[in-house]
Amino acid sequence: MQINTELLEKIVAEVLAEIGGGSSGASVATAAPEEVAGVKLTETGKAARGTDPKEVVLAISPAFATTFKKTITGIPLADVLRQVFAGVEEEGLHVRVIRVYHTADVAFMSHLGARLSGSGIGIGILSRGTSIIHQRDLNPLSNLELFPQAPVIDLPAFRAIGKNAAKYAKGESPNPVPTKNDPMARPRYQGLAALLHNKEASFIDRSKAPQELSVTFE
Amino acid sequence: MAVSKRSKRFEVLENRPVHKDGFIGEWIDVGLIAMGSPNDPKPSIRIEGDKVVEMDGRRREEFSMIEQFVADYAINVKNAPEAMAKSELEIARMLVDVNVPRGECIRVMTALTPAKIARVMDSLNIVEIMMAMQKMRCRQTPGNQCHITNVKDHPVLLAADAAEGALRGFIEMETTVGIVRYGAFNALALLVGGQTGRRGTLTQDALEEAFELEVGMRGLTSYAETVSVYGTESVFVDGDDTPWSKSFLASAYASRGLKMRFTSGTGSEVQMGAAEGKSMLYLEVLCIMVTKGAGVQGLQNGSISCIGVPGAVPSGLRAIACENLVTMCLDLEVASGNDQTFSHSDQRRTARTIPQLFPGTDLIFSGYAAEPNYDNMFAGSNWDIDDMDDFLSIQRDFKVDGGLRPVSEEDVIAIRNKAARALQAVFAELGFPPITDEEVELATYAHGTKDVGDRNIPEDLKATERLMKEGITGVDVAKALAKRGFRDIAESIILMMRQRVAGDYLQTSAWIDSDGAVYSAVNDPNTYAGPGTGYKMSDGRWNEIKSIPWAVRAEDV
Repeated sequence: MQINTELLEKIVAEVLAEIGGGSSGASVATAAPEEVAGVKLTETGKAARGTDPKEVVLAISPAFATTFKKTITGIPLADVLRQVFAGVEEEGLHVRVIRVYHTADVAFMSHLGARLSGSGIGIGILSRGTSIIHQRDLNPLSNLELFPQAPVIDLPAFRAIGKNAAKYAKGESPNPVPTKNDPMARPRYQGLAALLHNKEASFIDRSKAPQELSVTFE
Repeated sequence: MAVSKRSKRFEVLENRPVHKDGFIGEWIDVGLIAMGSPNDPKPSIRIEGDKVVEMDGRRREEFSMIEQFVADYAINVKNAPEAMAKSELEIARMLVDVNVPRGECIRVMTALTPAKIARVMDSLNIVEIMMAMQKMRCRQTPGNQCHITNVKDHPVLLAADAAEGALRGFIEMETTVGIVRYGAFNALALLVGGQTGRRGTLTQDALEEAFELEVGMRGLTSYAETVSVYGTESVFVDGDDTPWSKSFLASAYASRGLKMRFTSGTGSEVQMGAAEGKSMLYLEVLCIMVTKGAGVQGLQNGSISCIGVPGAVPSGLRAIACENLVTMCLDLEVASGNDQTFSHSDQRRTARTIPQLFPGTDLIFSGYAAEPNYDNMFAGSNWDIDDMDDFLSIQRDFKVDGGLRPVSEEDVIAIRNKAARALQAVFAELGFPPITDEEVELATYAHGTKDVGDRNIPEDLKATERLMKEGITGVDVAKALAKRGFRDIAESIILMMRQRVAGDYLQTSAWIDSDGAVYSAVNDPNTYAGPGTGYKMSDGRWNEIKSIPWAVRAEDV
């Protein structure tokens, strides 16, 4: 696997700038949403509980596709969204996307998505790629399918996550997305993941409710 | 940096495995620093009556919930004035000095504030830390724990691997899943496989906490370990928890006669973006003290799943050894990590394990991958089954007891086959999706999942749901085994369930021997007080360690 040196360099540069600037990482960043190539995300108000049994709610993290444009291995987040949409849609269902601001914990994000979802099924994805398929009536730290190793999740896997989420929403018992395991992902990526998570956590706003997003692929 | 003409030596060095590891510089503001951050509090204590009213520069009114819990339940206020009056260096020297008894060190260490403990650790170098570990660990005889997992959650392979792991000497084994809903089958496979390999093997299923407690109460597992505590309030609250809720969970286990320990480790807070600028070790000391305050008998630490973080910063592996030592110094059992990949370099992997292996700990690994790392669902352990003969050689080279023993190929094949057949019988008796003779054969001889076929996963998952819904317990499993001719394994499972009533294995650092006898810090306390004292390898054990089958014997030449 190729380490994403471009992203690494960018983060390190930002970190160094922050140390040099003496600004505190704890303050909530409120930069205006930046553009990410390939997809347009527009907030349309507070996310509401849905009643449509044919929807899967996708909960994305505070800086997904704004500050962060790629996963930890460099997959563009617009492509991630496109594949999850495609996976859900090929099962005849549709995706509703919400952005979570009060946490960047993927378990609680995906469980919130499931609770707001008309079908009771939610997906949570962090900017670095870590994902979960969740169901409304499970405990937050349980799940239907967990993808804890961001570095091994590729685009076909994101499509399969969408597809399986839709199948659960239809009441089916699909074969889980085949588990992948790279024992050397931790040595290579965990330090970087910590940097990325600290960056993403700086966008957490504990007082801000999850927002509904309209999604247009370009 | 960029030179036009490259040195061939540097080109070679760049391509060594160590260069694939992530190394990062310290970032003090967010707590990316192993120990001794300038943001760590300065030690102080003020006691009024029997209450701590100031700790480490903060008044009681300013305490976080963690600080309040630690101040109220984890500091011996009677001894605190005397202990806190000693310098860090004086206390550090007590830990290393063979003439200061372990009990005296415990008396001082349990009367210190978190910042003071962190500073005592910062006064020790790595060899001194190891010397202190030799004296301070609770139980005299060291032990070892393994992971039993695979990427397919294949139950037959799990049972065979558990049996082999138990035969190789692991006194505890832990599983987790790729697919959460397989959890109940993993518990069942380890119960049957573990008791097949060696009567008395302790098994656990690392999953969501409510599920873990339930399978434990049903006798499908015999202990729990993954009850996590954290060093900052925000991380704790993020997990919907407090020190009090974790203590409540701990008492739920104790009330059902189940062994349990907490889990924590350096790097978790900064990994979750909430270290508040404190060093990893200082925050870990808080976790260890929360564990002590909760009245739990032990702790798994040594960074654990966050090791990529301390492993990437300066003095990180030293900080990890310090975590283990602090746990021992608070008179707690320690399951001392070494359980997660952190490096591509064989040299770094081995060096990381020496501080726990050479002095010995209650459980040197927590755990060792008793399967190939591609099947290790804790995302890889620091050592795996393919490193086994290296491990056995190192035990022999240094005459050190790492808890494992050489085994013969015939014995391994036989025990794996028996465990697979036993699970086949249980599945048949309970009406679960059948295990074929071919699956038994493949699991018997397998290296890992690449050598076994695929199960019908949706059908297996329906059966695991049934197992949970119908309230199937260890007694049902024992009955099924007895009925199908595996009476010895059935008796072992009943023996394990009987331990719940006796409660002996709730003592600190307990494990269960093949005859049902329980060894712990109570009846096997660490008595180390310098050369010629403490753990002494018996002749029988030394002969076992010496006898690696591949050594050339003089009489055969």
